[in-house]
Amino acid sequence: MTTGALRVAIAEDSAILRDGLVQLLVDRGFTITGAVAEPAALRSSVAQNPPDVAVIDIRMPPTFTDEGLRLALELRAKHEGLGILLFSQYIETRYAADLLADDAAGIGYLLKDRVADVSDFVEALERVAIGGTALDPEVVTQLIGATRRSDTLSALTPREREVLALMAEGRSNGAIGQALVVSEGAVEKHVANIFTKLDLPVSDQDHRRVLAVLRFLES
Amino acid sequence: MTLVTDDGEAPAQPESEQHPQPGGVSLAITDEQVIKMKELVQRILREPFTKRPWSELAFWLVSGALAIVSLAVVAATMVAGVWLIITFVGLIIIALSLRIARGVGRWQRALAHNFLDETIEEPGPFARRPGFFGWLQSALRDRVAWRSAAYLALKLPWTLLGVYVAFSLWWDAFVGILNPIFSHGDGGSGPMWGLMQNIFLPNGISGDGGSFGHTLGLFILGLLALFAAPWVMHGFVTVDKLLIRTLLGPDPVAARVRSLEQARTTTVDASAATLRRIERDLHDGTQAQLVALAMRLGMAKEKLESTEDVDLDRVRELVDEAHRGAKEAITELRDIARGIHPPALDIGLEGALSTLASRSAIPTELNFDVRARPTPAIEAIAYYCVAELLANVAQHAQASRATVSCAQQGTWLRLVVRDDGRGGAHLSTVGSTSSGLFGLTERVRTVDGRLDLVSPPGGPTVVTVDLPLAA
Repeated sequence: MTTGALRVAIAEDSAILRDGLVQLLVDRGFTITGAVAEPAALRSSVAQNPPDVAVIDIRMPPTFTDEGLRLALELRAKHEGLGILLFSQYIETRYAADLLADDAAGIGYLLKDRVADVSDFVEALERVAIGGTALDPEVVTQLIGATRRSDTLSALTPREREVLALMAEGRSNGAIGQALVVSEGAVEKHVANIFTKLDLPVSDQDHRRVLAVLRFLES
Repeated sequence: MTLVTDDGEAPAQPESEQHPQPGGVSLAITDEQVIKMKELVQRILREPFTKRPWSELAFWLVSGALAIVSLAVVAATMVAGVWLIITFVGLIIIALSLRIARGVGRWQRALAHNFLDETIEEPGPFARRPGFFGWLQSALRDRVAWRSAAYLALKLPWTLLGVYVAFSLWWDAFVGILNPIFSHGDGGSGPMWGLMQNIFLPNGISGDGGSFGHTLGLFILGLLALFAAPWVMHGFVTVDKLLIRTLLGPDPVAARVRSLEQARTTTVDASAATLRRIERDLHDGTQAQLVALAMRLGMAKEKLESTEDVDLDRVRELVDEAHRGAKEAITELRDIARGIHPPALDIGLEGALSTLASRSAIPTELNFDVRARPTPAIEAIAYYCVAELLANVAQHAQASRATVSCAQQGTWLRLVVRDDGRGGAHLSTVGSTSSGLFGLTERVRTVDGRLDLVSPPGGPTVVTVDLPLAA
């Protein structure tokens, strides 16, 4: 836990959850730059006191539909390098697709339930803050469900799909190995196979990871 | 004994008192009658010179001509269609014939509108199904067209009779009155002429053509015809209007179906709105509450698992907060569940309503007199009506007391919620005060019930809701 001074802004209209999040993050040593209940307030908070990552509820006033998502897209366009963790009680595949349309770096999309596992949640938040990806397993499941019939991924073995799904969640090879109970070396082999099968050029590893995930989400 | 004499005297007394009265009354009536007679005579004398008889005559001629031509076309195509029905082409011809009949119906409505100021509501539009066979089927099943054809079939003989009787009267008037100028012939030639001659001039007419008496007689007959014609024509037109209304207006069955469709839409919308409200309540309330609860427990768990010294005070605090959150979530869930189906209704409407009345912020009295038990749907609507109305009273009426009465009237349930507040409530669709009332009205309409609101400024406000016992 090398977070130290990671700065977080929160937009969440439910007071209980907002207070809880602040409590949790302060407890874990984060700096809260702002905790607000509606989109406009976050906009000004981010402008005045830029955080490393913004945690945004998707359903917020005034219409309680996708304000948070639109705000996230807007903030990303305006503030380069700002991590966005969308936070929702439901997973909508379309939202994930909108969010990941151009770049999956510094993006997270988690079910609110995930805060119950405090460490996982904090880890995901940190990953997003430093430009990584954190997709809820639920998002990944839905996306796999939605892409089952496409050709792009048909070349992958079931195991490789699992690895790719975990990559899409934003996990490192080590974490994937832990999750699948295999060695990190085995995971690396799977990842290399995935890159080959998806026809991704040899270059900077992380970049290829993002491309693989995008290929996965697009398919 | 005294009683008997009293009884004996009792009828006598009023009689003696009443005596002068009937005379006075009957005199007054005679006066009125005289005035009425005068008015009637004036009306009769003026009638031929007003617009109405002429526009009715014009209507009769134009719509009659249209009816004759269009019936000829429709009947001919219909017969041809029936002849050819075995070749399937017949069906198409019948369908086309019906399409024509529908169009003619529209023209007839327009004529009635222009000449008679009789506005007939448009029947539903032709509901065409996709594809040729869809068209054929919907054309053959088009009730509006069949009714239109029936109208034409009835209209034709009626038109002819009207021309025979009423129009010939006009003709007789024309000929009789102008006879002195041209002074020849026997005057009118219409069928009513002979009748009128026999009634009014039994002898005079057989005199020499051209004699003064004869000409005068014809002239008087012409005048009579002139004043009689508008009324006879009016009679024919009135019957025709009735035909138009019943056969060319909206089909009562179709109108019922439409209103049911509307009610169904309202029901579907209302239940969608209810589901949305429940989802919102769950999402904003209980779910957030539970997430926060899980988060606190998660934090507490990690603290207990940590290898360093456990901050027991902090853990206790977290568990305490989680515990409070769990209790709040339970309360919220109960409220939401009550919003979905009030458990109070399980013990019957009376119990549920008395709970509502006793829970109301304004002192509320309940009168309940229902013998038959309404169906669950009606009970639920009645319950929500009373709940909403009492909430309105508490919020907006500034009332000091309210009464709720729930009584059975035949197969209907009548709910009356009355308060002594400031009144001024209305049923418009806008504004927070009234939107609830409007929603109730819609809800009540879904079961063919009705909601009436009387709320003059200054009060009192009385809302009456009638619901069928079964729906």
